[in-house]
Amino acid sequence: MSAFKCLFLIITILTSHYNFSQLRIEITGGAEDPINIAIVPIEWKLGVPQEEYIHEIIKADLESFGEFKVLPPEGMLSFPSTVEEVFYRDWRMLDIDYLVIGQANQSEIEDELKISYFIFDVAREIVIHRAIMSGYIGSIRRVAHNISDKIYMKIQGISGIFSTRLAYIDKPSIKDKNYHLRISDIDGFNGVSLFSSPQPIMSPNWSPKGDKMAYVSFEQGTSRIFIQTVSTGERKGIKLERGINSSPNWSPKGDKLAAVLSKEGNPDIFIYDLNRQSWKQITEHFGIDTEPDWSPNGKSLLFTSNRSGSPQIYQANIRTQRVKRLTFEGTYNARARYLPDGKSIVFVHRRNGVFHIATQKIKSGKVKILTDTYLDESPTISPNGNVVIYATKRLDKDILAGITLDGKTKFILPSLRGEAREPAWSPIID
Amino acid sequence: MTLTRKSLLISLSFLIASCGSISNERTSDASAVSTSASGAYSDVGVTSSNTLYFAYDKSDVTAEGRVKIRSLAKIIKKEGLSVRIEGHCDERGTREYNLALGENRAKTVAELLVINGVSSSKINTVSYGEEKPVASGSNENSWSQNRRALIKTF
Repeated sequence: MSAFKCLFLIITILTSHYNFSQLRIEITGGAEDPINIAIVPIEWKLGVPQEEYIHEIIKADLESFGEFKVLPPEGMLSFPSTVEEVFYRDWRMLDIDYLVIGQANQSEIEDELKISYFIFDVAREIVIHRAIMSGYIGSIRRVAHNISDKIYMKIQGISGIFSTRLAYIDKPSIKDKNYHLRISDIDGFNGVSLFSSPQPIMSPNWSPKGDKMAYVSFEQGTSRIFIQTVSTGERKGIKLERGINSSPNWSPKGDKLAAVLSKEGNPDIFIYDLNRQSWKQITEHFGIDTEPDWSPNGKSLLFTSNRSGSPQIYQANIRTQRVKRLTFEGTYNARARYLPDGKSIVFVHRRNGVFHIATQKIKSGKVKILTDTYLDESPTISPNGNVVIYATKRLDKDILAGITLDGKTKFILPSLRGEAREPAWSPIID
Repeated sequence: MTLTRKSLLISLSFLIASCGSISNERTSDASAVSTSASGAYSDVGVTSSNTLYFAYDKSDVTAEGRVKIRSLAKIIKKEGLSVRIEGHCDERGTREYNLALGENRAKTVAELLVINGVSSSKINTVSYGEEKPVASGSNENSWSQNRRALIKTF
């Protein structure tokens, strides 16, 4: 192993490279008591050279939301790649809580690798998980993200979010006159412009399987909702009505879209049946009703309405169409999203003239402000319910930022292109 | 499952007796295809454009604006023009809520044109919310320029 260790150290020094990415997570305030984990460099047993280091990708994943502190290889006393080579005392001495080791082998299929890996609980001296992850050698980042998700799940007990993607909008600049709907991996890599147009694009929303996006495009001179298949680029506009056609939001089953139409003279919430291709009206009020979001069980919709005089969050039962007001603190509460448990909401709340992201347990009615930034909007929640990414301003630029719901970790996602807004977090994509 | 994988699985199972079964995962390849708008809307054919400004969170037209609308209505009627009214907001507040506010501004202007004798069949309204600001910068100077309605004739 010493030759391997030596080689590895040289490689580590040489590979402080950073692949092209558009958004990059940069922690601005971290958790105080992160879990200490060691990811031993995966022993590479393939004939082709390793282009990216799996342990580095996993390290970046696990540290991205501040919950883990990953021991770099320089601090390790040994580099085991098999169970027999693990000496727990080496890791206890370094205050390591969990240890991950593994080997990468060529599979029986060409261009495929398989990584067999083990997760150890150092204090209890046991293997808590062992698995084989396989995938194309060319998509090693994705394979590594999937291993990160497994590690996260085994240690934290909830789904990891390192294989998810983020959609966002960027606006025209001096160099580029188009609006773009972009998507990238959650770590900022593999960015692509899904749709571009000289007219505005807004309100991207993922289908529950993560294979399609609904969004609003003004390319025809008016707002219209489009659906685009991510893998093929195929897109179609859904039935256009007079006035505003906006705020699309997929039902949990993926067969309907909640949206806003103003064809009756003012904005109301409607549901579009994707199979029948028809609209059904849900709210009917002379004020503004907008920004619908489905409850996880598909039975009710959150929406923003100014029917009481100022924008507040309401909940409509889809079957009975009964409407209930949920927010009572302050004079501006809007664009609410359910947390995955359906019991709490995250929304935009104005206090002393400043727009923050806030959360509220639906029943308690008590608002808890999460962010200390300015002009915050468009919160989107990670599929495991742990993290919020939102749009904000920094030095007059649109940037994305994030915070864990426990408030412990704050981060920003600076964009190499300059500006980004309206983030939409993908579901967990199988 | 091939022999190699099976034998690897078996050998791993022998190695560790202290935990549950090995999970076997397959990573799928995710990709995306890029598209762009074809034949997007543009202002070709627009012969005049007049701008009215609004107070924060309001869609009332000022006295000065009403005078402007009255004189514009005369020209529109006389020359048989069509009208497109675009409502815009400043960046404060949520995007979709601002889209609704922008529509209120456009509709208020449309109503005033109708009161001044322009046929509603000649008028088209659209809201861009906060999506097309003319001034960047998070301050009142920029915001006041962005809270506007454009009356375009063609």
